[in-house]
Amino acid sequence: MDKLFPTQEIGSLAKPSWRVKGYQGDELTENEIAEAMSWGEKLGIANLEQLIQVLKNKNSPQRRKAILEWAAKYAIKFFEIAGLDVVFNGEQWRSEMYEHFIRRVSGFKVLGFVKSFDYRYFNKAACIDPPKYIKPIYLEEFLFTKENTTRKIKVPFTGAYTLVDWTFNEFYEKRVVDKVQDFTRRKFEAKKDFLFDLIKNVIRPEIKTLVDSGAEWIQIDEPAATTNPSSEEMELFVEAFNETVRGFNCIFSLHNCYSNYKILAKYAPKLQNCGQLALEFANRDNPQIGLDNIRTSYKEIKFFEEYGFSGNYGLGVIDVHSNFVEPPELIRDRILYAAKIVGDSSRIWVNPDCGLRTRSWDVSFQKLKNMVLGAELARQSLE
Amino acid sequence: METIECYITGILPRPEELIEVTRAYDRARISREELENAFEKATKEVIRIQITAGLSYITDGMLKWQDLFRPFTEKLEGVHVGSLARWFNNNTFYRKPIITNRITCEKNILEEITYRKLIPKDVLWKVILPAPYTFIQLAENQAYSNKTDLMFEYAKILNKELSKLVNLGVKYIQLSDPALVYQPISKSISRDELSMVKAALDTTFKGISVKTCLQTFFGDFTQILPEALEFSVDHLGVDIYETHMEKLVKYSFDKGIALGIIDARNSLMENMDELVKLAKKIVKTIYLSDFEEIFVCPNCDLEYLPWKRAKEKIKTLRVLATRLEEELHG
Repeated sequence: MDKLFPTQEIGSLAKPSWRVKGYQGDELTENEIAEAMSWGEKLGIANLEQLIQVLKNKNSPQRRKAILEWAAKYAIKFFEIAGLDVVFNGEQWRSEMYEHFIRRVSGFKVLGFVKSFDYRYFNKAACIDPPKYIKPIYLEEFLFTKENTTRKIKVPFTGAYTLVDWTFNEFYEKRVVDKVQDFTRRKFEAKKDFLFDLIKNVIRPEIKTLVDSGAEWIQIDEPAATTNPSSEEMELFVEAFNETVRGFNCIFSLHNCYSNYKILAKYAPKLQNCGQLALEFANRDNPQIGLDNIRTSYKEIKFFEEYGFSGNYGLGVIDVHSNFVEPPELIRDRILYAAKIVGDSSRIWVNPDCGLRTRSWDVSFQKLKNMVLGAELARQSLE
Repeated sequence: METIECYITGILPRPEELIEVTRAYDRARISREELENAFEKATKEVIRIQITAGLSYITDGMLKWQDLFRPFTEKLEGVHVGSLARWFNNNTFYRKPIITNRITCEKNILEEITYRKLIPKDVLWKVILPAPYTFIQLAENQAYSNKTDLMFEYAKILNKELSKLVNLGVKYIQLSDPALVYQPISKSISRDELSMVKAALDTTFKGISVKTCLQTFFGDFTQILPEALEFSVDHLGVDIYETHMEKLVKYSFDKGIALGIIDARNSLMENMDELVKLAKKIVKTIYLSDFEEIFVCPNCDLEYLPWKRAKEKIKTLRVLATRLEEELHG
């Protein structure tokens, strides 16, 4: 990018109720249709009467496909109008990052819900056969996004280590039972086999498909990266990332959030072809404006610098779990504080902590607009 | 002839129907009363499953517990409910207890959260609670000049709460202490710290007459040997999937052992032959002559599995216990 502090999204955006209910085949209320209209007008979307017609139609495969396309158009425009430099489709075609992936690959069987926290759960699968690539996972949404924007595109891609860490490993554990007697070693050996089969059979073919179709930047999402902080597991994570990206003519970045950055920092310099680390900080920072010690969470950038990470940072300046709309001045100070630690402003990109799927469109829009304004203020203060 | 006992060791997963109700409640689509009813119905079911499976002690399943600390985090004076943090090396999160002031207890925390009335009078009732060491390690201390003071105050509160539960009929108390053995990067817990842990357990169990167990998981139990053999508990719980067997069998035990041998973090059903062989080897080597009380159990909370699979695993516990018994006496 030819300007300082380019702005980007991380991935998801909430799905409007006309997208959710419409896709399920439910009838929409007047209010829901009106909401689609009002956002459509706000975003300057053309031919809105066609969307109304689609929403009023009876459920059919054509209607469902049209609703997905309209939702993607809306999300792309949402990011553009908010002023972001790098966009995608708000993951409007994905149920969520884990289930979307494993339901499109053979070898996985969904077993049921397990608790994530409180009354939140995720649908956990078991690997029951070697994973096999049967059809593109993200290709269609990438192609659609490419057709519908002139901005730079970054494709969010759920990383292999996270997929494996979140899946029961039945097939490979059964396979090593006779080979590995020690229970503590068995899981690790089986995990390795699963991980590298998944990368070879599914992840790399999908990346190749994306790159062959013109994808220039893929963001590997690895929220589970530091779940197992032992050196053996962290080395495995690094090896998985490096094997994932090996030899592709494409920019790669890593997104990781709500994790142990002291641990991640130690291994970050070993990540090959990792142009950017998109990290979460705002969630743990103070809401007051200022450039001194008040920026508690951003101090952690020091870990990455001390260990020698030389790529760019995607600086999380927006808390995605709160409706507090960060003022531009606060975002500015977060950026300037991090830029000072890094000592090279050109290495700082600006983004929300994580995907915005848990916030309403109103809140997300305000937050993103302020993020763009905050980046501009930071640029001005350095001129 | 000694028998091999069995029980579960933590929070059970919520059955599907209950999950749907909690989600509806979360989205403000149903009332608090409907939620409470669903919890009660599901609790009856998980109690029934344990009894039918022939478990030696029965818990209420802890379906309401959002995490191991939550009843304390929400009800203790001096503690605030903090932000989400990862629960050890799992894709599961707990809310950090933030200690903002000296902690005191004005309420009947455990009496309120446990479903005593749903446990039939003719079964042995077991409760599971956070151990002092794990509580202080995972809490954020903003009030005490050192964490050891906090540990002892929590232990004192726990002691009072436990006395009340014993009066209500509890027959078995397990303290869950994963932090004691989960050391993926740093060195094992120091000998000095272990002696403080021992003292805190003394405080916790002072005057408590029922059976007690310190259940460790997510880490290698041998790190806390031989000191753990002196802890004031009747039984020690070991996570077989994280513990170095060759080191474990070098010690001789004069306490009972709870073998965490059903893997609660793996959906694969266990190979019984292999488990019986391993359990037999452990028992034969750590007990030189007569063996003490022995339990087979899940290594940790079964909530890492979907309910259907957890239910299947609960059903294998008595089968495993019986087979081990036959092997040891045969």
